[in-house]
Amino acid sequence: MTNAKNAVALALAALCCGLAQADTGKLLLTGGVSSIDGAAGGGLTPWAVIGTNATEGEIGASAHVTRASTQDYGLTTYGAALGFKDRIELSVARQDFNAAPSIALNGIAPFGVTPGQHIKMDILGVKVRVAGDAVLDSDTLMPQIAVGLEYKHTRPGSLGSVFNFLGTRTSGVDVYVSATKLFLAQGILVNGTLRATKANQNGLLGFGSNAPGRDSYSLQPEFSVAYLLSKNVAIGAEYRFKPNNLESLGRAAGLGDALREDNWKDIFIAWAPSKNLSLTLAYVDLGRVVPGITGNRKQTGAYLSAQVAF
Amino acid sequence: MKKTLIALMLATCGLAMAQTAPTDTLYKTFGEKPGLVKLMDDFMVRLLADPRTGPHFKPSNQQRVKEQLVDQFCQVMGGPCVYKGADMKSAHANLDIKKSDFNALVEVLQLSMDAQGIPFRAQNQLLAQLAPMHRDTITEK
Repeated sequence: MTNAKNAVALALAALCCGLAQADTGKLLLTGGVSSIDGAAGGGLTPWAVIGTNATEGEIGASAHVTRASTQDYGLTTYGAALGFKDRIELSVARQDFNAAPSIALNGIAPFGVTPGQHIKMDILGVKVRVAGDAVLDSDTLMPQIAVGLEYKHTRPGSLGSVFNFLGTRTSGVDVYVSATKLFLAQGILVNGTLRATKANQNGLLGFGSNAPGRDSYSLQPEFSVAYLLSKNVAIGAEYRFKPNNLESLGRAAGLGDALREDNWKDIFIAWAPSKNLSLTLAYVDLGRVVPGITGNRKQTGAYLSAQVAF
Repeated sequence: MKKTLIALMLATCGLAMAQTAPTDTLYKTFGEKPGLVKLMDDFMVRLLADPRTGPHFKPSNQQRVKEQLVDQFCQVMGGPCVYKGADMKSAHANLDIKKSDFNALVEVLQLSMDAQGIPFRAQNQLLAQLAPMHRDTITEK
């Protein structure tokens, strides 16, 4: 996908400019960390903050790499973001999902899934802050509000035949609105995001479904809460509702809840050892992810992310 | 898990919305007037030394700025002082202050408060009183 490559190149070029440039002036951690989809926020959900260290009148850049691994799956994400004047954020991310257990699908039908299959997904994101200042407007309840869009394109490889069977498309667009508020005196940050999406497992299993699965957009809320332990350490938790579009299709095909999708949650600790580096460690619970091929196990595990920002 | 989390988040919001009215607890935590004088002496040294804030404070009457800051901080903390200086808007009207300058000042203040051993929680209570001043002090938007 050359678009994504160009965007990465652009972001990296900006990053190098950022290195050479004078200091950008956001307060520590107030640009959030990089979510798995590349947008600034928590780990699993975007926030209304504009990423990078750039505040008003400045341009900043960030890059991140994230690894999450659970009982049966693994996900590696890397990407970059540009922040313009604390107003507009452009992000690009590439995900590599180890879907090796999907070989078991060949037992259901001759899908021709190859061993060790990975699913790749590219995500282009744009986010615009429309109102408020999450940090400095500490005398009002008014949060910072942003709207965002994520274009996702999935490459399922030999799982393409499964996508066809399920009637899921390989690209989709999520639209979301986020509200973020730091209760400064208490050191508590709260975020709520409402996402309109057709994505199955965030898009890794495509978008939409054949009937009787759900093929339309649905609204899914996502919540984060964080507590500042010090200037550069925050702990928190997230909860992200998911659409579960495919389960009824699986049920109709006699597969029971084999295609069920559960809500995602995590608890995290984020540490910024310097203005330019942040590390996030989390325990994630992704619920069941295609439980029909993973012994109905819940997928839980560790999540580690590193971000550099200028 | 779902219900617990939602309840937790609602509780968090409720807690956070009960914005603490300034009492003199904070003033005492900062060591009252002598503590604030010490804090401002340290703060001004750091402001002048920092390349981001130095140029803004070098031309000022530093002694006077320190005294006014003591009064102002004392007042917002609920201490027995009255800030008699100009309002924030007119005091900064002729200066070129960007949001990054405002944030730089916050960072320097945090360093000073750290040096005075002010607990993080008390620091944030003061910053929550000061942060809304961004509307009147930032002149370059």
